[in-house]
Order: sequence, then C-alpha cells, then structure tokens
Amino acid sequence: MYSRLLLIFALASGTVLAQSTSSSPEQQESVQGLMDRIQQLEKRISELEDHQRKQDAAQAASSGSQNLVESQGSQDKATLAAALRSEHAPSSTEVREAEVHYPSLQIRGFGDIDFSATNEKGSVSGFNLGQFVLHLASPLSKKVGYFGELSFTARPTGYDVQVERTIIRYDYNDYFKISFGKYHTPIGYWNTAFHHGAWLQTTISRPQMVQIGGTFIPVHFVGLLAEGNLPSGGLGLGYSVGLGNGRSSILSKAGDSGDSNDNRAWVASVFAKPTRFYGLQLGASVYGDKLSPDPGKNFGEWITSADVVWTKERPEFLSEFANVHHRDLQTSQTFNSQAFYVQLAYRLSWLESKWKPYYRFEYIHRPANEPVWDVSGLSSVADLVSSTVGVRYDITNYAAFKGEYRNNRTGTNEPRVNGAFFQTAFTF
Amino acid sequence: MTTHQKVASRALITGCLSFCLLQSLIAQSGGDVDVAVVVHPDTPVSNLTLAEVRKVFLGDRQYWSTDVPVVLLIRAPVARERNVVLKVIYQMSESQFKQYWIAKIFRAETATAPKVVYSNDMANELVTAIPGAIAFIDARDVRPGTKVIRVDGRLPKAQGYPLR
Repeated sequence: MYSRLLLIFALASGTVLAQSTSSSPEQQESVQGLMDRIQQLEKRISELEDHQRKQDAAQAASSGSQNLVESQGSQDKATLAAALRSEHAPSSTEVREAEVHYPSLQIRGFGDIDFSATNEKGSVSGFNLGQFVLHLASPLSKKVGYFGELSFTARPTGYDVQVERTIIRYDYNDYFKISFGKYHTPIGYWNTAFHHGAWLQTTISRPQMVQIGGTFIPVHFVGLLAEGNLPSGGLGLGYSVGLGNGRSSILSKAGDSGDSNDNRAWVASVFAKPTRFYGLQLGASVYGDKLSPDPGKNFGEWITSADVVWTKERPEFLSEFANVHHRDLQTSQTFNSQAFYVQLAYRLSWLESKWKPYYRFEYIHRPANEPVWDVSGLSSVADLVSSTVGVRYDITNYAAFKGEYRNNRTGTNEPRVNGAFFQTAFTF
Repeated sequence: MTTHQKVASRALITGCLSFCLLQSLIAQSGGDVDVAVVVHPDTPVSNLTLAEVRKVFLGDRQYWSTDVPVVLLIRAPVARERNVVLKVIYQMSESQFKQYWIAKIFRAETATAPKVVYSNDMANELVTAIPGAIAFIDARDVRPGTKVIRVDGRLPKAQGYPLR
C-alpha cells in the first residue's frame, strides 16, 4: 500500500516537475518509458499480492481444516470442502477454457473498399467494393481440422459468390499432413501466402501473374495434398505434393464440379526456411497437367517456378519467377511464357511504425502465337511491364490504408497507362 | 527562508527521494531477470536450440511427438515475458505478431493461435495441466510440476542464457 502511495507521489511530483520545465522529446520519451515501467510494476505488485492472498488462504484453510475436521461433524466438513473447491475453482475453469473444444469454429472476415483512376482509354474512375471474404477455421479433433474461404465479389448484375478454399486436413505429425478439398495451388510464394483478404498483403493488388481470375498459373486446385516438414536440421525444409483436377475448360477456374479430361494434374513443391537466416524463405515448384480447353484441342502444361522472399518488414522482399510451358499434343509445337515480379517494402520506424512504402516491378512475356492463351478468342495473357510505387499506412492493428501509383504497358506496341489507386483494407 | 520556500524545498527533496526509490524498484525488476521456457512434465524434450524454440512458437513445429500436439501459451500484452518473447523469439512488434497469427490461420497452416495467459500463476497451472503445453515464465516464478527447458544448453540464470 505504502509503496503504491509512494509510486503515485513520485509520479505526481514527476508530472509537476515535467510541467514546470519545457521538456524535450527525449525527456518525454523517458517519462513515457517510466510510466510504462510503473504500469508494469503495479501489475506485477497486484499479481504478487494475489499470489500471496491465495497462499495465505490456502494455509488458513489447511490449518483450519485439521482443527475443524477433528472437532466438528460432517456438515462442517462439507462447508470446508466447498470453500476449498471455490479457492481452486478458477484454476480448473482456466484449464477447461484453455483446452480446445471440438468443433471450435472461428470466423474472420476481410473486406476492402477501393478507388481507382487511370488514363486508359475508355476507363471510368470511381469507387468500388473489393472482395468481401469470410474465412472459417475449425479444429474437429486433435488431428483433424477444417478450413474454408468464401468470397463475395461485386459484379454489375449482383454479387458473385465463390468457394475459394474448402479443406479438411488430417495431421499425422509434422512430417505428414494429408488434406482433401479446394486449395490455392502451391506454385510460387504469393498464391499460398496471401489469399483473398487484401489486408494481408502489403500492396493493393496481387501481381498479375497470380491475379485472381487470371490464367497465367492455375490459381486454384481441387484434389488432395500431402505436406509437411522434412528432417533437415537447420535448413528447415518443407514439401507439398498434390494430385487434382487442374484447370477446367475455362482456364481461370479449377474443376470444382469435375475434371475436363481423364488426366489428373499434379504439383510438387519444396521450400527452405534456414534457421540461421530467420525471415528468409526459398522455394521451388513444378506443376503438370493436360489441358483440354476446347473439344479436339489438347495441350500438355508444365509449370516451373522459384521464389526468394525475406518476410521481415525491415526490409520486406518478395520475388518469384514462373515459366509456363505448353505443348500442342497434336503438332508437338511448344511455347514458353515467363513472368516474374520483385517487390521491396520497408516498415519505417518513426511515426509508430505505421508507414510502409513499397515498390514492385512486374514482367510477363508470352509468345505471339501461343494458342492456349488465345483459345477463347480473347487474349487471356498479355505481355506486361509494370511498376508500382505506393505506401501502406496501418490505421490500427486490423485496418490499413494504401495508396499507389502504377505505370504499366499491357501488350506490345500499346501505350503506357498511368493510374492512381487507393484502398482501405481491414479484417474483423 | 520563507514558508513557501521551505515547503517547496521539502517537496523537492521528497520528490527526489521518491524518484530514487522508484528508480531502484525499476532496477530491481529490470531486464536482468531470465525468462524460463517451461513445458508439461511429460513433454519429450528437455533441450532446444533458440532456433527450435522459435520454430515451435512460430507454429512451424506443431507436434512434440505423433500423439502430443504443441499447445502454445503466451502472456497477455504488457507483460515482461511477452515483450521478451516478441523481441527475442519472434523479432516482431505487437501488431506484427497479431498479423502473423491471423495470416497463419488464414493460410490453413494451423487451426489455433497461441492461448493467452494473464499471469505466471495461470501459465504454471496450465502447463502442468495440459499435455504438450509450453510457456514462458519469469524464472523466479517457476513452480514444481513443470519442466524447465534448456535453451542452447543453458538453464535460466546461467551465463549466456538467451532469454532475458
């Protein structure tokens, strides 16, 4: 009690002294530091006092119990037992609360509101609602868990509702986990690191090569996936191997309702998170499939990719490369398209570390006569050279404001397009 | 010396003494106290490297053995133990830590985030009661019934112990 009074007095006198002199930012910082420490000390004192009270109560109860049990009857025993139970009741409640109950559904939502303005011919500037995303996770037992992701995307005629991911997974141990469902295909880094919540990613948009609704890589995959760590010591190796339907006849979509042919797609990826370089991740993946976009047209698809990322924020560095190889199964003609991006960001340490400027360069190249990208009559993949510079401001721990400028050229001999984009992204 | 001056000088002296006492209290509770890594007594580990502790707390290692999942316990914000964990193990700010676990669950890499405990007493009790539980506790508050893990071969209070 006295120590608290003393602390309060010290704080008050400190405040008076602080008010009587014009304090510099360093002094203010020191005072703030001391205030934090006082709060921590007060918390610690109250913890110790609680602890002491509990011990005293337990001792009193145990000494009292001996006397009472000897001298009084069964009614007193019951009263004492109830008192002892109530003393220990919070612990058992805490244990019960800390234990996982099955199923235990958690829901998290993501949303974003965007504004865009570009000098592209025919484009209209204005606001739009981004994706509204619900994420579901529920452990079903100690070793079985369910994950789901639903997206609601605004369209001119209403909302497009999609099941983006639905996965049930059995964990045998850290080295082997098998799951079934619909995934984001484990090709490269971005596609499995950032899903549909724009708040999760630093930038407003995804790189074009992994764009949702894009066709350069198959963003979704329906089937089964085995994944886990590999015993590798400090290398921190992990893997995932999958078998599934691959692309449907609409190349941007997975075969949710069935494959477009009798040939299954497969994917294998490995990654390393070396313990010596915490934050570094290196990955490589291979994907194979047979595409049947139109009756009588069949292509072999072989995608190879590699990625290097530094996941810390000072700096954050993301880069990945992918080569998409198509082979016409009738003519044996082959086509190779390449894409990569490099993104660099840095969380500034001043202004409460809320600002994070970033820059991204993207590149896509496709052969002019590549038949798969033009199979629908419209070019679904075009050459691209794009630069994005922007800044993210974290309004709170769960909401961010982003603003960026993009300069890109899509297609050959096309003019460059400049645009300004703004986004408020949040999770709830 | 006027009455006002006397009162002012006494207040100043008392203030200075209080400030010194406060400083000494802060020094006593300061950053020299080690934070012990404690696990349920049946957990089949007794020595981990700092990198392995990090792997466990990042959720990259989720099982002690095939049948014993890791249950992460972490102190609520402001606690000194949490600050040590964020600084040494995660190397993240409070907001980065929150974002990390939201993303981890959202990626379907784990179904549950670390459980929050509000005192070292609570951490002690839960570690003793829940198989596979692991927590950080002020080394002075570790109670019998838990197992203290060596980190890089060192126990708390040993020279070169990394968690302080």
